[in-house]
Amino acid sequence: MGNIKTSDLSIQWSNVLEMVYESRIDSVGLNERVNSLATRSIKKDSKLEALNMIVSMCDLTTLEGEDTEGKISQMVAKAIKPNPLDSSVPSVAAVCVYPSLVGTAKEKVQNSDVKVAAVSSYFPSGQVPMESKLLDTKYAIESGADEIDIVINRKAFLEGDYRRVYDEIVALKEVCQDVHLKTILEVGDLKTYENIRKASLISLAAGSDFIKTSTGKLSIGSSRQACYVMLKSVLDFESMTGVKAGIKVAGGIRDAKDAIRYLVMINEEMGSDWLNPELFRFGASSLLDDVLKQIKKLKTGAYQAGYYFPRG
Amino acid sequence: MIDIKKTYKNYVDGKYVRSESGKTYTKELKNEFYELPLTSKKDIRDAVTSSKNGYKKWSSTTPYLRMQILYRLSEMIEGNKESYVELLMDHGFTKQKANKDIDESIKNIVWFAGLADKWEQLAGNLNPVSEEYFNISHQNPIGVVFSLSGSNVSLNELLMSILPSLTVGCSVISYSEENSVMALKFAEDINNSDFPSGSLNILSGKFENILDDVSKHVEINLVALHKELDNEGLKTIEQNASESVKRVFSQPSTEGFSSILPYLETKTVWHPKGT
Repeated sequence: MGNIKTSDLSIQWSNVLEMVYESRIDSVGLNERVNSLATRSIKKDSKLEALNMIVSMCDLTTLEGEDTEGKISQMVAKAIKPNPLDSSVPSVAAVCVYPSLVGTAKEKVQNSDVKVAAVSSYFPSGQVPMESKLLDTKYAIESGADEIDIVINRKAFLEGDYRRVYDEIVALKEVCQDVHLKTILEVGDLKTYENIRKASLISLAAGSDFIKTSTGKLSIGSSRQACYVMLKSVLDFESMTGVKAGIKVAGGIRDAKDAIRYLVMINEEMGSDWLNPELFRFGASSLLDDVLKQIKKLKTGAYQAGYYFPRG
Repeated sequence: MIDIKKTYKNYVDGKYVRSESGKTYTKELKNEFYELPLTSKKDIRDAVTSSKNGYKKWSSTTPYLRMQILYRLSEMIEGNKESYVELLMDHGFTKQKANKDIDESIKNIVWFAGLADKWEQLAGNLNPVSEEYFNISHQNPIGVVFSLSGSNVSLNELLMSILPSLTVGCSVISYSEENSVMALKFAEDINNSDFPSGSLNILSGKFENILDDVSKHVEINLVALHKELDNEGLKTIEQNASESVKRVFSQPSTEGFSSILPYLETKTVWHPKGT
């Protein structure tokens, strides 16, 4: 769990290549399985537990050009106490910001359990030379980031240069050392389930602690299907190496109902070990607001308005 | 000639939808049975989401355009007058009475259309103060209004439960039980009059099924009951509504200018006088 060292992994590039070329996915069967998992009904008590769990798994995110120190302070306050009127609602797992704002975020989280994650390697496109990506990542770590979210080199991936994708992640992992590394596949750019599986396996073999669906900057964000492909890759990787990697889903998950469906899928396919912020995260901006509303609805019986909850 | 019966559906967010529950209740008209949507709690929640967006669109429409859209509604009803008269006669009205109801309806829509760009002058005020500044009371529409229509079958009564709040820029969820066939038919003319989606949602069903959810829903700002409820029902609504400081009006006035007053919220601003 966490802090995987690429050199410790008993896996060679030749093994990775073998797995990558063996990737075949039955998309009809996959859709059927994913859809059948979405029909489970969740009873009231379990629902409250699930909603609180979702809050504790959230990476509260703001990744905009308009982000300011003030905006980050506000968001961190919300991350620590998502609902100031209800102390039973846990803190979120982390706040996710651009490298230039890591310092501010770090200063504000201080004594809480909330971690600071930074997107780096020239998120969201990653279209720069490797030196720049390393520099970007180093800067974020020196500013105090606890977790680093990088993007894979989609240019290289789509050109078929898988080795380059792998090598870049390995190099970035070396910079990260003990800092938690999440690798964003950007499933919307990868188009096919086979590609998602290939990218997942390459990222895992290169030492990623987490694989993450999307940047949230594309109109096609996370989908339960993509998450399913990734979770199967994570399980296969575990059976090969014994290493448990995590999954972060992000982009387009806006309501509590959808988030609960992800939890059901994780629980059914991977087991309750993965129902843990150490191994499963939601990248969220509007999701948290809906979850807070639903928690209050369960407790009071009244449907809520957004303006009764903190902004951030 | 095949006799094709109409399927009456709820009108939510500019679309004709069945209740998500699939449930209906039956209404008999001229020895024929019609199945009307039995609105569920989930339908109400969807309608509120739609009305909240509809409120943003409708309240930011210029008063001049609101006036034109309301006037267009009267044109649509005028064009379909015969079918309204027929529907009222199916409900047991004489032709004369049915005609009168529709004529009154059209007259009232035109009156409210005219009021759309004038009520603010009438309801707002420059307040007297003894210092060197202006003190102005300015009216805003209150937001999302839930309106329970009366138990009589009548287009005019339905309209009088909707028009006052709609004219000032509120979005309205109109809910009918006894008058539902008329209300759901009326939705067709709303759809043809250029109202932004969500500004007026029309649903049918039994009020007791949704009473609790409506009165508790934080995003409904006002509940107007144009039907007499028993004391217990009214008390439950008022108690639930107080939790979210929701306003409740039981049988509010539908007479002239005073009809719009419950749907306004006053904002007072001051501004220094130039010297």
